[in-house]
Amino acid sequence: MPEPWVPTVDDLRVKLCYICREEERHDSPPNPPVAWVHPCNCTLVAHESCLLTWIQSAQSDSSRAPNALKCPQCGAVYELESENPLPLRILNSLNAVLSASGRVVSIAGLVTVGVSFGLGVYVIFTSYGAYAIQEFLGKELFDILLSDDPSNWPWHAYLNLPLIPVSLILSRTNLLDMFPIVPLFLAWTSSPAVPTTTTALNANFRRSIRGPDDSYPFAPVIHWPPSPIMVTILFPYVSTLYRRYMMRLRHWVMGTQSRNRPPVRRIVWALNEDGPLRVHIGANIQDDDNVPRRGGDAQQQQQGQGEGQQQPQEGGQEQQGEAEPQDPAAVAERTIRVTGASLGRYIGGALMIPRISSFMGSLLLKLSRHSVLLRKFLAVRPPRTAPVEPVSRWFENQDFTKLGYLGQLGTGITLALQVVCGGTKIFADSDPVWWRNSLGLGLFVVAKDCINLLHLYLTKREIETRRVKSRSFAGVDYRELDLITPPSAQAEGAETQ
Amino acid sequence: MAAVSTRRLQKELADIKNHGTPTGITLLKADDFETWYLTLEVLGESLYKGEVFALKFRFEPGYPISSPAVQFVVDDKFRAPLHPHVYSNGHICASILGTEWSPVLSVISVCITLQSMLASCKDKKRPPDNDRYVAHAPENPKKTQFVYHDDEV
Repeated sequence: MPEPWVPTVDDLRVKLCYICREEERHDSPPNPPVAWVHPCNCTLVAHESCLLTWIQSAQSDSSRAPNALKCPQCGAVYELESENPLPLRILNSLNAVLSASGRVVSIAGLVTVGVSFGLGVYVIFTSYGAYAIQEFLGKELFDILLSDDPSNWPWHAYLNLPLIPVSLILSRTNLLDMFPIVPLFLAWTSSPAVPTTTTALNANFRRSIRGPDDSYPFAPVIHWPPSPIMVTILFPYVSTLYRRYMMRLRHWVMGTQSRNRPPVRRIVWALNEDGPLRVHIGANIQDDDNVPRRGGDAQQQQQGQGEGQQQPQEGGQEQQGEAEPQDPAAVAERTIRVTGASLGRYIGGALMIPRISSFMGSLLLKLSRHSVLLRKFLAVRPPRTAPVEPVSRWFENQDFTKLGYLGQLGTGITLALQVVCGGTKIFADSDPVWWRNSLGLGLFVVAKDCINLLHLYLTKREIETRRVKSRSFAGVDYRELDLITPPSAQAEGAETQ
Repeated sequence: MAAVSTRRLQKELADIKNHGTPTGITLLKADDFETWYLTLEVLGESLYKGEVFALKFRFEPGYPISSPAVQFVVDDKFRAPLHPHVYSNGHICASILGTEWSPVLSVISVCITLQSMLASCKDKKRPPDNDRYVAHAPENPKKTQFVYHDDEV
C-alpha cells in the first residue's frame, strides 16, 4: 500500500505570501530562489524571511509575544528550529532569574523609599554609604577612618556617605560614566584617623612615655601598591580605555560596525511589564534580498540585557545608511523601555558593587596564599599592630609660621604631592584591602562583560540559524489547493505505478 | 528603494481596484502609500443606520510587520461614531490594531472588523474615560497603550 500522497508548499502552482502578498508562480521561480514555508495547519503560506521577521518583531514586545508564534488563521503554533546550545539556554535562564530578582529589588526599593521617605532616606543612604566604605576599604581601615560610632565621624562623612549609593547608581548610566564615585572616594584617601577613645588613649599614653610623636605622616613617594589617590585619578582613564576596547571586541564578535549610537529619544516607563524573556539584538542578520530591516526586529532593548551601557547593535535603518529620523521604527530603536525588572537589576546591580568587590578581593587574597607573586602584587600585609597615629601631631610640631609665604606655599605643594603619590601613612601601613578589592572588581567587570558578550553572540547565532518548520498540507482539503499536479492526476499516477 | 509597505499596499490597492470593496466600505483617497482614507457605513439594522464615518490609515515603512495607525476621522464633515471603544477624537481601542495585529490582516479586513464592531454595538456611548483620554492623547493612536477591556463589543 503506497503512502497517500500529501502535497507540500512546493507543490503549489501559485504561492502567495500572507505577509508581503508577493506571489510566486511555480513556472517562473526567482533567481536566487526564495524559501517558502507552510508552517501551520491551514492554507496560509509565507516567505520564510517574512515570517522570521514577523516572529522576531512580535517577540520583542511582551504584549504581542503570545501571538508571535501562532498562525493568525488556524492558531497552530509555529515550530522554530535553531541552534540553541546548552550555554545559551543556561545564560537565558540566568538572565530570567536576574530579571526576576530585579523586580524584587524594584518592589523592595519602592517599599523602602515609601516607608522611609520623611524619616530617613538620608539615614538609609548614609548607612549604606558606611557599609560600602567598610566593604571596600576593609574593616581595619574602616575602623581607623570612620569607625562604627557615628559620633566620631569627620564632618565630610555626613555629606560623602549618603552620596555613595546615589553615585553608584549614577555611575552605571552612560551620562556620568564613573565620574561621580571618584571624588567621593578621594575624600577618604586623605582623611585622618578618627579620634576614637582607644586612639586617643593610646596616643596620650605614648606621648607621656616617649614624648610627642612627630613621625612624618606620609608614606614614601614610591611604594607598592600605588597610592589610592593615584589609583582613583587614573581610574577613569583605565575604564575609558577598557570600554573602548571592549566595544571594539564586541563589534568584532557581533560583526557590527562601530558608529555612534543616536541619542536615546524617549524613555518608556513600563514598570509593570515583564519584558520579553529573550535578549534582543539587532545584529546583521541581513536577508539576501534588499528588503530594509523592518520595524521592531532590530529593537535595541535594554531590559533583556540588563546592562544598559554597552549595546553596540545598530538598527537596520542605520545599516542601510538611510537615516530616517522620522521613521517610528527608528525612533523605537532609540527607546529605552524601563521595566520593573530592568530598573531593579540596574539599581540592585549598582548597590551590589561594594559587596562584589569585597568578595572578589577576598577571593584574590585566598588565591594569593598559593602564589608569592600575587601576594607581592596585592601587597598583602598582616593586620596592623601598632596603634594609629593621629596625623595632627606632626603638624603641631611644625612651625609653619616661621616660614615665609613662599616657604608655606612650597611646603603646601610638597605635602599635596606626597599625598597624591604616596598617600597617607594610614593607608600605607594598613593591609591594602581597597587595592585587591579594586582589582577584584575590575576582574569581575571583565568577566561579566565577557559572559554578556557570549550571551549576545549565542543569541545572535540562534536568530541567524532560525528556520520555521514547514509542514505538509495534511489535514487540509487539498483538492481546493491550486496544485501544479492536481490530486486526481497524482492519484492516477499512483495507481498506474 | 521602495519600502516593503509600498509593494504590499500596491497589491492591496490593485485588489481593491479589481475586486471592489465590500458593501458599506469605499476607498476615499489613496494617493500615496502613507495615508489612506476610507468611508465606513453599517448597513442593515444597527444603531448607526444612516451614519457614514471615515477611517484614516497611516502606514509605516514596516507595514505589514508593524500595524497601521487607524482612527476615525473627526473634522467638519465626519464624526467619530458614538461607541464604547471609540474616543471622541477618533482613536479606537481595538486589540487587532495593537497586540492582536497580524500581517495576515489588511486594510479591508480591518475595515470589516470595525464595521462589525459597530454593527454589534448595543449601547451608543463614549468610553468611560473619554474626557481624560482625549485631553492627554497623543496625536498618533499607536503611541497609546490601550488596555483592552472586553472582546465582545
